[in-house]
Amino acid sequence: MRKISKLRRGDRLFAYALLIPTVIYLACVFVYPIVQSLFWSFLHYDLLDGSPKHFVGFGNYAQILVSGQFWYSLWNAIWFTLFTCSVELVLGFFCALLLNQTFPGRTFFRASIIIPWALLTMVNGLLWDYMLQPGTNGGALQIVLHALHLLPHNSNPVWLATITGTVFWAGIADIWKMTPFMTLLILAGLQSLPGELYEASMLDGAGFWKKVRYVTIPHVMPAVIVAVVLRVMGAFRVYDILTEFTGSDTTSVTYLTFDNAFRYFYLGKASAMAWLSTLFIIALIIYYIRILKKNMDEA
Amino acid sequence: MKKLQKTSTDIIPTGYLWTGLILLFLFSVLPFIYMIGSSFSSQLELNEGHLFPHHPTLINYQQLFSNSGPYVSELRAAMGNSLEVSILTTVISLIFGCFAAYAFARIRFPFRMTGLFAILSMQVLPSVSIVVPLYMLFRTGFSIPIPFTNLSFQLTGPLLDTPWALIIAYCSGTIPYVVWMVTGYFSVVPKELEESAYVDGCGRLGTMFRIILPLSIPGLAATFIFSVLNNFDEFMFANAFTTTYNSKTIPIFIAELVGKHSLPWGLMTAAGVVATIPFVILSMICYRWIVTGVTAGAVKG
Repeated sequence: MRKISKLRRGDRLFAYALLIPTVIYLACVFVYPIVQSLFWSFLHYDLLDGSPKHFVGFGNYAQILVSGQFWYSLWNAIWFTLFTCSVELVLGFFCALLLNQTFPGRTFFRASIIIPWALLTMVNGLLWDYMLQPGTNGGALQIVLHALHLLPHNSNPVWLATITGTVFWAGIADIWKMTPFMTLLILAGLQSLPGELYEASMLDGAGFWKKVRYVTIPHVMPAVIVAVVLRVMGAFRVYDILTEFTGSDTTSVTYLTFDNAFRYFYLGKASAMAWLSTLFIIALIIYYIRILKKNMDEA
Repeated sequence: MKKLQKTSTDIIPTGYLWTGLILLFLFSVLPFIYMIGSSFSSQLELNEGHLFPHHPTLINYQQLFSNSGPYVSELRAAMGNSLEVSILTTVISLIFGCFAAYAFARIRFPFRMTGLFAILSMQVLPSVSIVVPLYMLFRTGFSIPIPFTNLSFQLTGPLLDTPWALIIAYCSGTIPYVVWMVTGYFSVVPKELEESAYVDGCGRLGTMFRIILPLSIPGLAATFIFSVLNNFDEFMFANAFTTTYNSKTIPIFIAELVGKHSLPWGLMTAAGVVATIPFVILSMICYRWIVTGVTAGAVKG
Protein backbone atom coordinates (compact mmCIF):
# COMPACT_ATOMS: atom_id res chain seq x y z
CA MET A 1 0.00 0.00 0.00
CA ARG A 2 2.72 2.40 1.03
CA LYS A 3 4.78 1.45 -1.95
CA ILE A 4 1.99 2.34 -4.36
CA SER A 5 1.48 5.79 -2.92
CA LYS A 6 5.21 6.42 -3.12
CA LEU A 7 5.23 5.38 -6.75
CA ARG A 8 2.30 7.67 -7.42
CA ARG A 9 4.04 10.59 -5.84
CA GLY A 10 7.11 9.86 -7.96
CA ASP A 11 4.85 9.83 -11.01
CA ARG A 12 3.34 13.12 -10.07
CA LEU A 13 6.74 14.73 -9.67
CA PHE A 14 7.76 13.26 -13.01
CA ALA A 15 4.69 14.78 -14.64
CA TYR A 16 5.52 18.20 -13.20
CA ALA A 17 9.11 17.83 -14.40
CA LEU A 18 7.88 17.14 -17.93
CA LEU A 19 5.56 20.13 -17.81
CA ILE A 20 8.09 22.62 -16.46
CA PRO A 21 9.70 23.64 -19.79
CA THR A 22 6.34 24.29 -21.43
CA VAL A 23 4.91 26.07 -18.40
CA ILE A 24 7.95 28.33 -18.02
CA TYR A 25 7.99 29.09 -21.74
CA LEU A 26 4.31 29.95 -21.94
CA ALA A 27 4.50 31.93 -18.70
CA CYS A 28 7.31 34.09 -20.11
CA VAL A 29 6.15 34.50 -23.68
CA PHE A 30 2.38 34.32 -23.30
CA VAL A 31 1.05 34.89 -19.80
CA TYR A 32 3.53 37.61 -18.82
CA PRO A 33 2.98 39.66 -22.02
CA ILE A 34 -0.78 39.38 -21.86
CA VAL A 35 -0.83 40.48 -18.20
CA GLN A 36 1.59 43.27 -19.01
CA SER A 37 -0.69 44.47 -21.80
CA LEU A 38 -3.58 44.54 -19.33
CA PHE A 39 -1.43 46.77 -17.11
CA TRP A 40 -0.47 48.99 -20.07
CA SER A 41 -4.07 49.35 -21.11
CA PHE A 42 -4.50 51.64 -18.08
CA LEU A 43 -1.51 53.83 -18.99
CA HIS A 44 -0.97 56.71 -21.31
CA TYR A 45 1.88 55.06 -23.20
CA ASP A 46 2.94 56.73 -26.44
CA LEU A 47 6.31 55.87 -27.91
CA LEU A 48 6.49 58.95 -30.12
CA ASP A 49 5.23 61.98 -28.15
CA GLY A 50 8.06 61.87 -25.61
CA SER A 51 5.82 62.25 -22.56
CA PRO A 52 6.43 59.73 -19.77
CA LYS A 53 3.91 56.95 -19.38
CA HIS A 54 1.41 57.65 -16.67
CA PHE A 55 -1.69 56.09 -15.19
CA VAL A 56 -4.96 57.15 -16.80
CA GLY A 57 -7.38 54.61 -15.30
CA PHE A 58 -10.06 53.67 -17.75
CA GLY A 59 -9.15 56.62 -19.96
CA ASN A 60 -8.01 54.50 -22.89
CA TYR A 61 -11.11 52.33 -22.71
CA ALA A 62 -13.38 55.37 -22.53
CA GLN A 63 -11.62 56.95 -25.51
CA ILE A 64 -12.02 53.74 -27.52
CA LEU A 65 -15.62 53.15 -26.59
CA VAL A 66 -16.75 56.63 -27.59
CA SER A 67 -14.89 56.55 -30.91
CA GLY A 68 -17.00 55.74 -33.93
CA GLN A 69 -13.99 54.19 -35.61
CA PHE A 70 -13.77 51.43 -33.06
CA TRP A 71 -17.44 50.47 -33.30
CA TYR A 72 -17.29 50.64 -37.06
CA SER A 73 -14.27 48.31 -37.23
CA LEU A 74 -15.81 46.00 -34.63
CA TRP A 75 -19.01 45.85 -36.66
CA ASN A 76 -16.95 45.04 -39.77
CA ALA A 77 -15.16 42.22 -37.97
CA ILE A 78 -18.46 40.84 -36.69
CA TRP A 79 -20.29 40.81 -39.98
CA PHE A 80 -17.21 39.47 -41.73
CA THR A 81 -17.21 36.63 -39.19
CA LEU A 82 -20.93 35.90 -39.50
CA PHE A 83 -20.82 36.07 -43.29
CA THR A 84 -17.77 33.87 -43.83
CA CYS A 85 -18.56 31.32 -41.14
CA SER A 86 -22.16 30.75 -42.19
CA VAL A 87 -21.29 30.40 -45.88
CA GLU A 88 -18.33 28.17 -45.07
CA LEU A 89 -20.55 26.03 -42.86
CA VAL A 90 -23.24 25.50 -45.50
CA LEU A 91 -20.79 24.97 -48.36
CA GLY A 92 -18.51 22.82 -46.22
CA PHE A 93 -21.40 20.63 -45.11
CA PHE A 94 -22.54 19.90 -48.67
CA CYS A 95 -18.97 19.39 -49.89
CA ALA A 96 -18.42 16.93 -47.06
CA LEU A 97 -21.63 15.08 -47.99
CA LEU A 98 -20.43 14.83 -51.60
CA LEU A 99 -16.94 13.67 -50.70
CA ASN A 100 -18.21 11.13 -48.18
CA GLN A 101 -19.90 9.20 -50.97
CA THR A 102 -18.15 6.34 -52.79
CA PHE A 103 -17.25 7.14 -56.39
CA PRO A 104 -14.27 6.56 -58.67
CA GLY A 105 -11.52 9.13 -58.20
CA ARG A 106 -12.58 10.05 -54.68
CA THR A 107 -9.03 10.47 -53.41
CA PHE A 108 -8.26 12.80 -56.32
CA PHE A 109 -11.28 15.00 -55.61
CA ARG A 110 -10.62 15.02 -51.88
CA ALA A 111 -7.03 16.11 -52.44
CA SER A 112 -7.93 18.72 -55.07
CA ILE A 113 -10.18 20.66 -52.72
CA ILE A 114 -7.30 21.49 -50.40
CA ILE A 115 -5.52 23.53 -53.08
CA PRO A 116 -7.12 26.81 -51.93
CA TRP A 117 -6.28 26.00 -48.34
CA ALA A 118 -2.62 25.27 -49.22
CA LEU A 119 -2.21 28.70 -50.85
CA LEU A 120 -0.63 31.24 -48.53
CA THR A 121 -3.18 33.80 -47.33
CA MET A 122 -1.14 36.57 -48.91
CA VAL A 123 -1.12 34.82 -52.29
CA ASN A 124 -4.83 34.24 -51.92
CA GLY A 125 -5.35 37.95 -51.28
CA LEU A 126 -3.15 38.86 -54.22
CA LEU A 127 -5.05 36.49 -56.49
CA TRP A 128 -8.48 37.88 -55.55
CA ASP A 129 -7.30 41.44 -55.64
CA TYR A 130 -6.09 40.73 -59.15
CA MET A 131 -9.32 39.05 -60.22
CA LEU A 132 -11.35 42.00 -58.92
CA GLN A 133 -9.47 44.69 -60.83
CA PRO A 134 -11.67 47.34 -62.48
CA GLY A 135 -11.17 48.90 -65.91
CA THR A 136 -12.21 48.15 -69.46
CA ASN A 137 -10.11 44.99 -69.56
CA GLY A 138 -10.14 44.46 -65.83
CA GLY A 139 -9.82 41.35 -63.71
CA ALA A 140 -11.02 37.86 -64.50
CA LEU A 141 -14.27 38.14 -62.58
CA GLN A 142 -15.42 41.05 -64.66
CA ILE A 143 -14.40 39.39 -67.92
CA VAL A 144 -16.26 36.21 -66.98
CA LEU A 145 -19.39 38.10 -65.86
CA HIS A 146 -19.37 40.07 -69.11
CA ALA A 147 -18.99 36.91 -71.15
CA LEU A 148 -21.89 35.28 -69.30
CA HIS A 149 -23.97 38.48 -69.74
CA LEU A 150 -24.48 38.67 -66.01
CA LEU A 151 -23.06 42.20 -66.16
CA PRO A 152 -24.20 44.70 -68.80
CA HIS A 153 -21.49 44.99 -71.40
CA ASN A 154 -20.59 48.60 -70.74
CA SER A 155 -20.49 48.51 -66.93
CA ASN A 156 -17.20 48.24 -65.08
CA PRO A 157 -17.95 48.12 -61.37
CA VAL A 158 -15.21 49.09 -58.93
CA TRP A 159 -15.71 46.43 -56.32
CA LEU A 160 -13.05 47.49 -53.86
CA ALA A 161 -13.96 51.18 -53.75
CA THR A 162 -15.73 51.15 -50.38
CA ILE A 163 -14.81 49.60 -47.04
CA THR A 164 -17.98 47.51 -47.08
CA GLY A 165 -17.09 46.20 -50.54
CA THR A 166 -13.55 45.45 -49.48
CA VAL A 167 -14.64 43.53 -46.41
CA PHE A 168 -17.23 41.65 -48.46
CA TRP A 169 -14.71 40.55 -51.09
CA ALA A 170 -12.14 39.74 -48.44
CA GLY A 171 -14.88 37.53 -47.05
CA ILE A 172 -15.31 35.82 -50.44
CA ALA A 173 -11.55 35.22 -50.59
CA ASP A 174 -11.65 33.83 -47.06
CA ILE A 175 -14.56 31.57 -47.98
CA TRP A 176 -12.60 30.28 -50.96
CA LYS A 177 -9.58 29.54 -48.78
CA MET A 178 -11.20 28.17 -45.64
CA THR A 179 -14.18 26.15 -46.92
CA PRO A 180 -11.85 23.13 -47.41
CA PHE A 181 -10.90 23.37 -43.73
CA MET A 182 -14.57 23.26 -42.74
CA THR A 183 -15.19 20.43 -45.23
CA LEU A 184 -12.38 18.33 -43.77
CA LEU A 185 -13.63 18.76 -40.20
CA ILE A 186 -17.20 17.85 -41.11
CA LEU A 187 -16.04 15.00 -43.34
CA ALA A 188 -14.14 13.54 -40.40
CA GLY A 189 -17.34 13.67 -38.38
CA LEU A 190 -19.33 12.07 -41.21
CA GLN A 191 -16.92 9.18 -41.57
CA SER A 192 -17.90 7.85 -38.18
CA LEU A 193 -21.56 7.72 -39.19
CA PRO A 194 -22.64 4.06 -39.49
CA GLY A 195 -24.53 3.10 -42.66
CA GLU A 196 -27.17 1.24 -40.61
CA LEU A 197 -28.67 4.55 -39.55
CA TYR A 198 -29.42 5.42 -43.16
CA GLU A 199 -30.72 1.92 -43.82
CA ALA A 200 -33.11 2.24 -40.92
CA SER A 201 -34.33 5.62 -42.17
CA MET A 202 -34.72 4.15 -45.66
CA LEU A 203 -37.13 1.57 -44.26
CA ASP A 204 -39.15 4.47 -42.91
CA GLY A 205 -39.24 5.84 -46.45
CA ALA A 206 -37.02 8.86 -45.86
CA GLY A 207 -35.79 10.76 -48.91
CA PHE A 208 -32.56 12.75 -49.23
CA TRP A 209 -33.61 15.80 -47.24
CA LYS A 210 -35.20 13.74 -44.47
CA LYS A 211 -32.04 11.65 -44.15
CA VAL A 212 -29.94 14.78 -43.93
CA ARG A 213 -32.31 16.36 -41.44
CA TYR A 214 -32.86 13.42 -39.10
CA VAL A 215 -29.72 11.30 -39.47
CA THR A 216 -26.78 13.30 -40.78
CA ILE A 217 -27.19 16.62 -39.01
CA PRO A 218 -27.71 15.26 -35.49
CA HIS A 219 -24.75 12.92 -35.93
CA VAL A 220 -22.23 15.52 -37.14
CA MET A 221 -23.47 18.25 -34.79
CA PRO A 222 -20.55 17.96 -32.30
CA ALA A 223 -17.96 18.18 -35.09
CA VAL A 224 -19.87 21.08 -36.66
CA ILE A 225 -20.03 23.09 -33.44
CA VAL A 226 -16.32 22.65 -32.79
CA ALA A 227 -15.49 23.58 -36.39
CA VAL A 228 -17.68 26.68 -36.28
CA VAL A 229 -16.25 27.89 -32.99
CA LEU A 230 -12.71 27.44 -34.33
CA ARG A 231 -13.56 29.32 -37.52
CA VAL A 232 -15.35 32.11 -35.64
CA MET A 233 -12.28 32.72 -33.50
CA GLY A 234 -10.10 32.64 -36.61
CA ALA A 235 -12.31 34.92 -38.68
CA PHE A 236 -12.83 37.50 -35.95
CA ARG A 237 -9.12 38.31 -35.85
CA VAL A 238 -8.89 38.75 -39.62
CA TYR A 239 -5.94 40.90 -40.53
CA ASP A 240 -3.67 39.64 -43.26
CA ILE A 241 -6.09 39.37 -46.15
CA LEU A 242 -7.31 42.92 -45.55
CA THR A 243 -3.75 44.20 -45.75
CA GLU A 244 -3.63 42.98 -49.32
CA PHE A 245 -6.92 44.62 -50.28
CA THR A 246 -6.75 47.94 -48.48
CA GLY A 247 -4.61 50.20 -46.37
CA SER A 248 -7.51 51.24 -44.20
CA ASP A 249 -7.51 50.56 -40.48
CA THR A 250 -11.30 50.75 -40.20
CA THR A 251 -11.73 47.37 -41.90
CA SER A 252 -11.49 45.19 -38.80
CA VAL A 253 -10.82 45.55 -35.13
CA THR A 254 -7.51 43.67 -35.34
CA TYR A 255 -6.38 45.97 -38.13
CA LEU A 256 -7.30 49.03 -36.07
CA THR A 257 -5.46 47.65 -33.03
CA PHE A 258 -2.37 46.84 -35.06
CA ASP A 259 -2.29 50.30 -36.63
CA ASN A 260 -2.71 51.99 -33.27
CA ALA A 261 0.28 50.04 -32.02
CA PHE A 262 2.66 50.06 -34.97
CA ARG A 263 1.67 52.99 -37.14
CA TYR A 264 0.91 55.55 -34.42
CA PHE A 265 2.68 53.81 -31.50
CA TYR A 266 -0.17 54.46 -29.02
CA LEU A 267 0.82 51.40 -27.03
CA GLY A 268 -1.58 52.01 -24.13
CA LYS A 269 -4.59 52.49 -26.35
CA ALA A 270 -3.66 49.53 -28.52
CA SER A 271 -3.34 47.35 -25.41
CA ALA A 272 -6.81 48.39 -24.27
CA MET A 273 -8.21 47.59 -27.70
CA ALA A 274 -6.48 44.20 -27.74
CA TRP A 275 -8.03 43.46 -24.37
CA LEU A 276 -11.50 44.23 -25.64
CA SER A 277 -11.03 41.64 -28.42
CA THR A 278 -9.54 39.24 -25.91
CA LEU A 279 -12.61 39.51 -23.68
CA PHE A 280 -14.81 38.75 -26.68
CA ILE A 281 -12.76 35.65 -27.50
CA ILE A 282 -12.65 34.53 -23.85
CA ALA A 283 -16.44 34.48 -23.82
CA LEU A 284 -16.33 32.22 -26.88
CA ILE A 285 -13.67 29.99 -25.30
CA ILE A 286 -15.82 29.43 -22.23
CA TYR A 287 -18.65 28.36 -24.51
CA TYR A 288 -16.29 26.11 -26.48
CA ILE A 289 -14.92 24.40 -23.38
CA ARG A 290 -18.42 23.72 -22.13
CA ILE A 291 -19.22 21.98 -25.42
CA LEU A 292 -16.01 19.95 -25.29
CA LYS A 293 -16.70 18.89 -21.70
CA LYS A 294 -20.23 17.88 -22.63
CA ASN A 295 -18.92 15.81 -25.56
CA MET A 296 -16.40 14.13 -23.30
CA ASP A 297 -19.00 13.29 -20.70
CA GLU A 298 -21.16 11.70 -23.36
CA ALA A 299 -18.31 9.69 -24.87
CA MET B 1 -10.40 -1.01 -62.31
CA LYS B 2 -11.95 -2.44 -59.24
CA LYS B 3 -15.69 -2.23 -58.99
CA LEU B 4 -16.87 0.18 -56.35
CA GLN B 5 -19.44 -1.15 -53.97
CA LYS B 6 -22.28 1.22 -53.34
CA THR B 7 -22.99 1.57 -49.66
CA SER B 8 -25.93 2.84 -47.70
CA THR B 9 -24.08 6.04 -46.81
CA ASP B 10 -24.42 7.07 -50.47
CA ILE B 11 -27.46 9.25 -50.13
CA ILE B 12 -26.97 11.63 -53.05
CA PRO B 13 -28.27 10.46 -56.46
CA THR B 14 -25.50 10.00 -59.04
CA GLY B 15 -26.51 12.88 -61.28
CA TYR B 16 -26.47 15.42 -58.46
CA LEU B 17 -23.29 13.90 -57.10
CA TRP B 18 -21.33 14.50 -60.30
CA THR B 19 -22.79 17.94 -60.87
CA GLY B 20 -21.75 18.85 -57.34
CA LEU B 21 -18.31 17.35 -57.70
CA ILE B 22 -17.60 19.18 -60.95
CA LEU B 23 -18.77 22.50 -59.50
CA LEU B 24 -16.66 21.88 -56.41
CA PHE B 25 -13.64 21.02 -58.53
CA LEU B 26 -14.02 24.14 -60.68
CA PHE B 27 -14.55 26.31 -57.61
CA SER B 28 -11.34 25.12 -55.96
CA VAL B 29 -9.10 24.80 -58.99
CA LEU B 30 -10.06 27.48 -61.52
CA PRO B 31 -8.74 30.55 -59.67
CA PHE B 32 -5.53 28.65 -59.04
CA ILE B 33 -5.13 27.68 -62.71
CA TYR B 34 -5.90 31.26 -63.66
CA MET B 35 -3.06 32.41 -61.43
CA ILE B 36 -0.65 29.96 -63.04
CA GLY B 37 -1.82 31.01 -66.51
CA SER B 38 -1.36 34.70 -65.73
CA SER B 39 2.15 34.10 -64.48
CA PHE B 40 3.02 32.97 -68.02
CA SER B 41 1.40 35.99 -69.67
CA SER B 42 3.13 39.15 -70.81
CA GLN B 43 1.89 42.48 -69.45
CA LEU B 44 0.48 43.26 -72.90
CA GLU B 45 -1.76 40.20 -72.94
CA LEU B 46 -2.93 40.86 -69.40
CA ASN B 47 -3.84 44.42 -70.39
CA GLU B 48 -5.82 43.12 -73.34
CA GLY B 49 -7.88 41.03 -70.94
CA HIS B 50 -6.94 37.54 -72.06
CA LEU B 51 -7.88 35.02 -69.36
CA PHE B 52 -5.23 32.60 -70.55
CA PRO B 53 -2.00 33.37 -72.36
CA HIS B 54 -2.11 33.05 -76.14
CA HIS B 55 1.65 33.26 -76.33
CA PRO B 56 3.01 31.84 -73.08
CA THR B 57 6.20 33.51 -71.96
CA LEU B 58 8.68 33.07 -69.14
CA ILE B 59 9.36 36.79 -68.90
CA ASN B 60 7.87 37.16 -65.41
CA TYR B 61 9.96 34.36 -64.00
CA GLN B 62 13.05 35.73 -65.72
CA GLN B 63 12.42 39.11 -64.13
CA LEU B 64 11.89 37.53 -60.73
CA PHE B 65 15.00 35.37 -60.88
CA SER B 66 17.41 37.41 -63.01
CA ASN B 67 20.56 38.11 -61.08
CA SER B 68 20.60 41.73 -62.15
CA GLY B 69 16.94 42.23 -61.19
CA PRO B 70 15.73 43.85 -57.97
CA TYR B 71 13.84 40.84 -56.63
CA VAL B 72 16.06 37.80 -56.65
CA SER B 73 18.04 38.52 -53.49
CA GLU B 74 14.93 39.61 -51.57
CA LEU B 75 13.00 36.56 -52.70
CA ARG B 76 15.82 34.22 -51.79
CA ALA B 77 16.23 35.83 -48.36
CA ALA B 78 12.50 35.77 -47.69
CA MET B 79 12.17 32.12 -48.71
CA GLY B 80 15.15 31.21 -46.52
CA ASN B 81 13.78 33.13 -43.54
CA SER B 82 10.34 31.60 -43.89
CA LEU B 83 11.73 28.07 -44.06
CA GLU B 84 14.11 28.63 -41.17
CA VAL B 85 11.49 30.20 -38.94
CA SER B 86 8.68 27.76 -39.62
CA ILE B 87 10.81 24.62 -39.35
CA LEU B 88 12.72 25.69 -36.24
CA THR B 89 9.49 26.80 -34.57
CA THR B 90 7.90 23.45 -35.28
CA VAL B 91 10.88 21.43 -34.06
CA ILE B 92 11.19 23.42 -30.82
CA SER B 93 7.45 23.22 -30.22
CA LEU B 94 7.43 19.47 -30.83
CA ILE B 95 10.21 18.91 -28.30
CA PHE B 96 8.51 21.02 -25.60
CA GLY B 97 5.07 19.77 -26.55
CA CYS B 98 5.88 16.05 -26.53
CA PHE B 99 7.14 16.16 -22.95
CA ALA B 100 4.08 18.05 -21.77
CA ALA B 101 1.76 15.86 -23.81
CA TYR B 102 3.22 12.73 -22.27
CA ALA B 103 2.45 14.07 -18.81
CA PHE B 104 -1.09 15.03 -19.81
CA ALA B 105 -1.85 11.79 -21.64
CA ARG B 106 -0.28 9.12 -19.47
CA ILE B 107 0.00 10.39 -15.89
CA ARG B 108 -2.82 11.36 -13.54
CA PHE B 109 -2.08 14.42 -11.46
CA PRO B 110 -4.14 17.19 -9.85
CA PHE B 111 -5.43 19.95 -12.16
CA ARG B 112 -4.66 17.84 -15.22
CA MET B 113 -7.80 18.82 -17.15
CA THR B 114 -7.61 22.43 -16.00
CA GLY B 115 -4.03 22.64 -17.22
CA LEU B 116 -4.94 21.12 -20.56
CA PHE B 117 -7.81 23.56 -21.09
CA ALA B 118 -5.65 26.50 -19.99
CA ILE B 119 -3.14 25.55 -22.67
CA LEU B 120 -5.86 25.08 -25.26
CA SER B 121 -7.23 28.53 -24.57
CA MET B 122 -3.80 30.03 -25.24
CA GLN B 123 -3.92 28.59 -28.72
CA VAL B 124 -7.09 30.46 -29.58
CA LEU B 125 -6.56 33.82 -27.87
CA PRO B 126 -6.05 36.55 -30.47
CA SER B 127 -2.36 37.06 -31.19
CA VAL B 128 -2.94 40.82 -31.33
CA SER B 129 -3.24 40.74 -27.54
CA ILE B 130 0.43 39.83 -27.06
CA VAL B 131 1.97 41.56 -30.05
CA VAL B 132 2.62 44.90 -28.28
CA PRO B 133 4.38 43.54 -25.16
CA LEU B 134 6.38 41.11 -27.28
CA TYR B 135 7.47 43.98 -29.51
CA MET B 136 8.80 45.89 -26.49
CA LEU B 137 10.47 42.74 -25.20
CA PHE B 138 12.21 42.11 -28.50
CA ARG B 139 13.22 45.75 -28.83
CA THR B 140 15.35 45.61 -25.70
CA GLY B 141 16.11 41.90 -25.60
CA PHE B 142 15.41 39.50 -22.74
CA SER B 143 16.83 40.44 -19.35
CA ILE B 144 16.41 39.34 -15.76
CA PRO B 145 16.27 42.27 -13.30
CA ILE B 146 18.39 41.88 -10.18
CA PRO B 147 16.14 42.60 -7.17
CA PHE B 148 16.62 45.86 -5.18
CA THR B 149 19.00 47.35 -7.75
CA ASN B 150 18.58 49.11 -11.01
CA LEU B 151 20.78 46.53 -12.68
CA SER B 152 19.60 43.70 -14.80
CA PHE B 153 21.21 40.67 -16.30
CA GLN B 154 20.98 40.93 -20.06
CA LEU B 155 20.27 37.53 -21.60
CA THR B 156 20.02 38.50 -25.25
CA GLY B 157 20.55 41.54 -27.39
CA PRO B 158 17.65 43.20 -29.22
CA LEU B 159 15.79 40.60 -31.23
CA LEU B 160 13.79 42.73 -33.66
CA ASP B 161 14.67 41.96 -37.28
CA THR B 162 16.11 38.59 -36.41
CA PRO B 163 14.50 35.20 -37.06
CA TRP B 164 14.54 34.56 -33.31
CA ALA B 165 11.88 37.17 -32.66
CA LEU B 166 9.55 35.29 -34.97
CA ILE B 167 10.53 31.86 -33.67
CA ILE B 168 9.90 32.90 -30.06
CA ALA B 169 6.57 34.52 -30.94
CA TYR B 170 5.37 31.64 -33.12
CA CYS B 171 6.26 29.07 -30.47
CA SER B 172 3.81 30.72 -28.09
CA GLY B 173 1.01 29.77 -30.47
CA THR B 174 2.46 26.49 -31.75
CA ILE B 175 3.35 24.83 -28.43
CA PRO B 176 -0.29 24.86 -27.23
CA TYR B 177 -1.39 23.42 -30.58
CA VAL B 178 1.24 20.67 -30.40
CA VAL B 179 0.37 19.83 -26.79
CA TRP B 180 -3.29 19.54 -27.64
CA MET B 181 -2.75 17.37 -30.74
CA VAL B 182 -0.02 15.13 -29.37
CA THR B 183 -1.90 14.51 -26.11
CA GLY B 184 -4.62 13.04 -28.31
CA TYR B 185 -2.21 10.78 -30.18
CA PHE B 186 -0.41 9.63 -27.02
CA SER B 187 -3.58 8.80 -25.16
CA VAL B 188 -4.78 6.28 -27.76
CA VAL B 189 -1.65 4.11 -27.39
CA PRO B 190 -2.86 1.01 -25.48
CA LYS B 191 -1.92 0.96 -21.80
CA GLU B 192 -0.87 -2.71 -21.99
CA LEU B 193 2.12 -1.86 -24.19
CA GLU B 194 3.42 0.57 -21.61
CA GLU B 195 2.82 -1.87 -18.77
CA SER B 196 4.72 -4.68 -20.45
CA ALA B 197 7.59 -2.28 -21.06
CA TYR B 198 7.61 -1.51 -17.31
CA VAL B 199 7.83 -5.24 -16.61
CA ASP B 200 10.82 -5.41 -18.92
CA GLY B 201 12.47 -2.73 -16.82
CA CYS B 202 11.82 0.45 -18.80
CA GLY B 203 11.40 3.62 -16.78
CA ARG B 204 8.87 6.32 -17.56
CA LEU B 205 11.24 8.11 -19.92
CA GLY B 206 12.21 4.80 -21.52
CA THR B 207 8.62 3.89 -22.34
CA MET B 208 8.05 7.35 -23.71
CA PHE B 209 10.95 7.18 -26.14
CA ARG B 210 10.74 3.48 -27.01
CA ILE B 211 7.01 2.79 -27.01
CA ILE B 212 4.83 5.89 -27.12
CA LEU B 213 6.82 8.11 -29.50
CA PRO B 214 7.43 5.49 -32.22
CA LEU B 215 3.77 4.47 -32.20
CA SER B 216 2.67 8.11 -32.58
CA ILE B 217 4.88 8.94 -35.56
CA PRO B 218 1.98 9.36 -38.04
CA GLY B 219 0.33 11.79 -35.64
CA LEU B 220 3.58 13.65 -35.04
CA ALA B 221 4.12 13.90 -38.79
CA ALA B 222 0.63 15.35 -39.24
CA THR B 223 1.28 17.88 -36.50
CA PHE B 224 4.65 18.75 -38.03
CA ILE B 225 3.31 19.42 -41.52
CA PHE B 226 0.27 21.34 -40.34
CA SER B 227 2.34 23.51 -38.05
CA VAL B 228 4.98 24.27 -40.72
CA LEU B 229 2.25 25.32 -43.15
CA ASN B 230 0.58 27.50 -40.51
CA ASN B 231 3.76 29.26 -39.49
CA PHE B 232 4.76 29.81 -43.09
CA ASP B 233 1.49 31.65 -43.57
CA GLU B 234 1.67 33.87 -40.47
CA PHE B 235 1.58 37.57 -41.25
CA MET B 236 0.89 39.78 -38.27
CA PHE B 237 3.88 38.99 -36.04
CA ALA B 238 6.13 39.05 -39.09
CA ASN B 239 4.77 42.45 -40.05
CA ALA B 240 5.37 43.85 -36.57
CA PHE B 241 8.79 42.37 -35.84
CA THR B 242 10.66 42.56 -39.14
CA THR B 243 11.48 45.61 -41.20
CA THR B 244 14.75 44.78 -42.97
CA TYR B 245 15.11 42.82 -46.20
CA ASN B 246 17.26 40.25 -44.48
CA SER B 247 14.63 39.36 -41.91
CA LYS B 248 11.41 39.46 -43.90
CA THR B 249 9.33 36.38 -44.61
CA ILE B 250 7.51 35.38 -47.76
CA PRO B 251 4.07 36.79 -46.85
CA ILE B 252 5.64 40.19 -46.19
CA PHE B 253 7.62 40.02 -49.44
CA ILE B 254 4.42 39.35 -51.37
CA ALA B 255 2.41 42.03 -49.58
CA GLU B 256 5.09 44.59 -50.43
CA LEU B 257 5.26 43.61 -54.09
CA VAL B 258 1.70 44.87 -54.38
CA GLY B 259 2.24 47.99 -52.36
CA LYS B 260 5.41 49.35 -53.89
CA HIS B 261 5.06 48.98 -57.61
CA SER B 262 2.54 49.90 -60.24
CA LEU B 263 0.50 46.72 -60.41
CA PRO B 264 2.84 44.35 -62.26
CA TRP B 265 0.29 41.55 -62.15
CA GLY B 266 2.30 39.07 -64.18
CA LEU B 267 5.24 39.44 -61.85
CA MET B 268 3.07 39.14 -58.77
CA THR B 269 1.31 36.02 -59.92
CA ALA B 270 4.71 34.54 -60.74
CA ALA B 271 5.87 35.33 -57.21
CA GLY B 272 2.64 33.78 -55.91
CA VAL B 273 3.28 30.63 -57.89
CA VAL B 274 6.87 30.37 -56.68
CA ALA B 275 5.89 30.89 -53.04
CA THR B 276 2.93 28.55 -53.19
CA ILE B 277 3.58 25.64 -55.55
CA PRO B 278 5.89 23.80 -53.11
CA PHE B 279 3.09 23.85 -50.55
CA VAL B 280 0.36 22.83 -52.92
CA ILE B 281 2.46 19.85 -54.00
CA LEU B 282 3.38 19.05 -50.40
CA SER B 283 -0.29 19.21 -49.39
CA MET B 284 -1.36 16.91 -52.21
CA ILE B 285 1.34 14.37 -51.33
CA CYS B 286 0.80 14.55 -47.57
CA TYR B 287 -2.96 14.91 -47.94
CA ARG B 288 -3.77 12.14 -45.48
CA TRP B 289 -1.43 13.47 -42.81
CA ILE B 290 -2.65 17.01 -43.17
CA VAL B 291 -6.23 15.88 -42.77
CA THR B 292 -5.27 14.13 -39.54
CA GLY B 293 -3.54 17.29 -38.38
CA VAL B 294 -6.61 19.38 -39.11
CA THR B 295 -9.24 17.08 -37.74
CA ALA B 296 -7.80 15.01 -34.90
CA GLY B 297 -8.32 17.47 -32.08
CA ALA B 298 -11.72 18.64 -33.15
CA VAL B 299 -13.32 15.27 -33.73
CA LYS B 300 -11.74 13.45 -30.84
CA GLY B 301 -12.64 16.44 -28.65
